[in-house]
Amino acid sequence: MRKTGFLLLILIVAVSLALSACGNASNGGKQTGAGDQASGESGKQEKVKLSILAWNNETEMKPVMDGFMKKYPNISFDFQFAPPVKDYIAKLQTMLLSDSAPDIFIIAAENRNEVIDSGHALDLTDYPFMDVMLDSNKPMLSKNGRTYAFTNNGWVGGWFYNKDLFAKAGITKLPTTWDEFVEVCLKLKEAGITPLYDNMQDLTQIHSSLYGNMTLSKDPNFDEKIFSGEKTFADGWLEVFKLWKKDMIDKKIITPDMIGLTGDQIESEFTLGNVAMFFGGPWSIAKLSATPNLNFSMIPVPGPVPGETYYVGAPGVGFAVNSKTKHKEEALKFIEYLSTQEGLELFYQGTGSIMTAKGFEAKVHPSMQQAYEEGLMKGKIYLPMVSWPRHQEALRNQFVIVTQDMAVGKITPEEAVAAIDKKLKEMENK
Amino acid sequence: MVKFLRYLQYEVFLLPILIIYTLFTIVPLIRSFELSLTDFNGYSTDYHFVGLKNYIKLFSDDAIVSGISFTLTFALCSTALITVLAIPLAILLDQNFFTKHIHRALFFFPSIPSGLLLAFIWGFILSPVASGVFNTILREVFGLGAQPWLSDPLLAKLSTIIVAVWAQTGWHAVLYLAFLQSIPKDYFEAAAIDGASRLQQIRYITLPLLAPAMTVSVMLLLTGGLKVFEIPFALTKGGPGFETHTITQVIVLRGISETQFGLASAMSVVFFLIVLVIACFQVTMMQKREERIQ
Repeated sequence: MRKTGFLLLILIVAVSLALSACGNASNGGKQTGAGDQASGESGKQEKVKLSILAWNNETEMKPVMDGFMKKYPNISFDFQFAPPVKDYIAKLQTMLLSDSAPDIFIIAAENRNEVIDSGHALDLTDYPFMDVMLDSNKPMLSKNGRTYAFTNNGWVGGWFYNKDLFAKAGITKLPTTWDEFVEVCLKLKEAGITPLYDNMQDLTQIHSSLYGNMTLSKDPNFDEKIFSGEKTFADGWLEVFKLWKKDMIDKKIITPDMIGLTGDQIESEFTLGNVAMFFGGPWSIAKLSATPNLNFSMIPVPGPVPGETYYVGAPGVGFAVNSKTKHKEEALKFIEYLSTQEGLELFYQGTGSIMTAKGFEAKVHPSMQQAYEEGLMKGKIYLPMVSWPRHQEALRNQFVIVTQDMAVGKITPEEAVAAIDKKLKEMENK
Repeated sequence: MVKFLRYLQYEVFLLPILIIYTLFTIVPLIRSFELSLTDFNGYSTDYHFVGLKNYIKLFSDDAIVSGISFTLTFALCSTALITVLAIPLAILLDQNFFTKHIHRALFFFPSIPSGLLLAFIWGFILSPVASGVFNTILREVFGLGAQPWLSDPLLAKLSTIIVAVWAQTGWHAVLYLAFLQSIPKDYFEAAAIDGASRLQQIRYITLPLLAPAMTVSVMLLLTGGLKVFEIPFALTKGGPGFETHTITQVIVLRGISETQFGLASAMSVVFFLIVLVIACFQVTMMQKREERIQ
C-alpha cells in the first residue's frame, strides 16, 4: 500500500513539473501568428469573422451589427456577451491573458488603466472617425492625451420619484436645496411613506452628488490633487460624510436595513409604490414605463452650495480594437460604422442609450430631459470611478465598506475617510 | 517483481484521472505559489519577483483577519448544526412509513440547485424591508416589526449560517442514511430481546456505528465551510462592512477587483495550508475516535 502511495506521489510530481514547465514556455513565447500573413495578402472579398465581447447583450447589439453586415457582406460576427461590471472585467481579463481576446472589446472606467497600460488596445486617436466623439467623453478612455476607445454615448442618472406618493404626502414644490430635500424626505416619512432607498452595495449616489456640489464646484481638479498627494480624501470627503450622517442617518431617512437591498429589489420596490424615490438612469426607463399607473419623473439631489447641482453620470463604455487582432482593418471599419449617422441611429435603436455624438440629435425620455440638458450636456456630472485615475475598484470597495460601517454606527465619518486614505496609500505602494 | 507489475497495472488505470487532477488542481496550485512571490497584477505578463513581501503584507490586512474570523465561525457553526440535525433526520428517514421516498427526495432536493441560486432566492425571502417575504410573515402572523435580516452584523451572520444549514442538512442526512442501512438489523433485535429501549438502541448501537459516516460528513462540511463563497456572497455581498466576508471572497476581492494577484495568490497558499492542517487534524482525531468506540 505504501509503495503504491509513493509511486502515485512520484507520478503527480513528475506530471505537474512537466506541465508547469510547458505553461512557462508558452507564456514566454512570442505569438507567431500564421494568420497575420494570411489576411494581409488575400483578396478584398475574403470572408472575415470579427469577434466582439461586450456588456450590451446580443439583442441590444443586433440592429447595429445587422446594419454593418448589410454594408460589408463579407464580414460577419462572433458575438460574445458578459454582464457588467465584474463578470465582464473578469472574462476580458482572462481572455487577454491567454491571448484569446476578441478583435473588438469594450473598455469601461473600471478596467481602462489595466487594459491601456498593458498595451492591449490599439491607439485610435488619429483616425478620422474620432472627430465625432465628444471631447468631454475622451478623458475617460485616454492616457497621456492618446485615446484608445470610441464611445458615442453617455449616461446620466438622478432620483426617480413617484409623483402620486409626493402628492399624498402633500409635497407641492420639488426640492432645490439640500435642506428642502431633507424636508421632503421627512415629510414623506411623516406620511408613512419610505422616502428613499439608496443602494448601499455600491458607491452611494447621494455621496457622489454631494461631493460634486460641495467639493468639485470649488475645485474641479480635486480628484487629481488627491492622487498627486496634494490633497487627501479626508480633505474632500469628510464634510460630505458628516452632512450625510447628520441628515440621512441620524434622521433615519437612510436606515441600516437598506444595506441588504440589491439594485433590483430597490427598483421593484419603487414600481410597487413602496418607496417614493430611488436612484436610476436610462436603464430603468423601460421597466418604469411598462409599469401601469406609475407616475414618475426625475430630480437631482441638490447640495448645500446653491446653483451647483451635480448629477451622477459618465461617458458610455468605449469600443476598443485588440492590438493583437488579425483583422485590424475590418475591426476599425466597425468602429467607424458606429460613428456614422446610420450606425448611431441603429445603436440607439438597439441599446436605448443617450447618444452624445457630435452632429446627432439625441432622444431622451421626457422624465430625463432635465438631467440630460443640465447634467450631461453641461458636464455637471460626476462618477468617482471615471474621475479617479487609478485603483478604482479597490477604492470603490473601500467606499462601500465604510458607508455600510457608518450606516450601522460602527465607525465615524473621520474614521471612514481615514480608512479610504489608508487604502489609497496601500494601493499606491503595492 | 510480480507484485510490482500487478501494482503497475492498477496505476495505468489511474493515469487518466491523475492527468486531469494534476492539470486542473496540482498545476494551478504550483502556479499560485509561483505567482505569490511576484507582483503580478492579472493583466500584464511582465511581472517581477518580490520574495516574501506578499506574505508579510497579508497578515496586516484587516479584511483577511475579518475573513478568517467569519469563515471559521461559519464553518464550525454550520458543521455542528448540520451534524446535530442530519443524524436524527437520517434515523427518521430510515423508518418504514408510507411517504418515506418522497420525504427523502424532499430533504435531498435543496442540495441539487447551485448555492448561488438558492442564496438569491433566500435574499428575497430575507429581504430586510417591510415587504420582504419573511418580514411580511412576521408582521401578518406574529404582529412583529421588520427585522434587518441581512443588514445587521449579527443577524446577517446568522442568516447566512441558517441558509447553509437548510441547504445541506438533507444531503448529509442521506449520507448518514446510507451508513444506517448498512448496520445489520441483528444488533437491534438482540438489543430489543435484552430489553434495550429505542433510545438506548440509538445511543449504544446506532451512534457508535455511525462514527465512520461522521468522519466523512464532518470532513466534507468543515472543508466545504472553510471554502464557502457563494451563499454569503449572494446573500449579503460580504456586508455590512467586512462582517460576512469569507476568506475566498477576500481573495477574489484582492485578486480580481484590486488587481493584486500576487497578494491574492499568497492568501490562497496560506489558506490552502490552513485547510490542509484543519482537515488532517480532524480526520486523525475522528479516526482515533472511531477506533476507540469500536
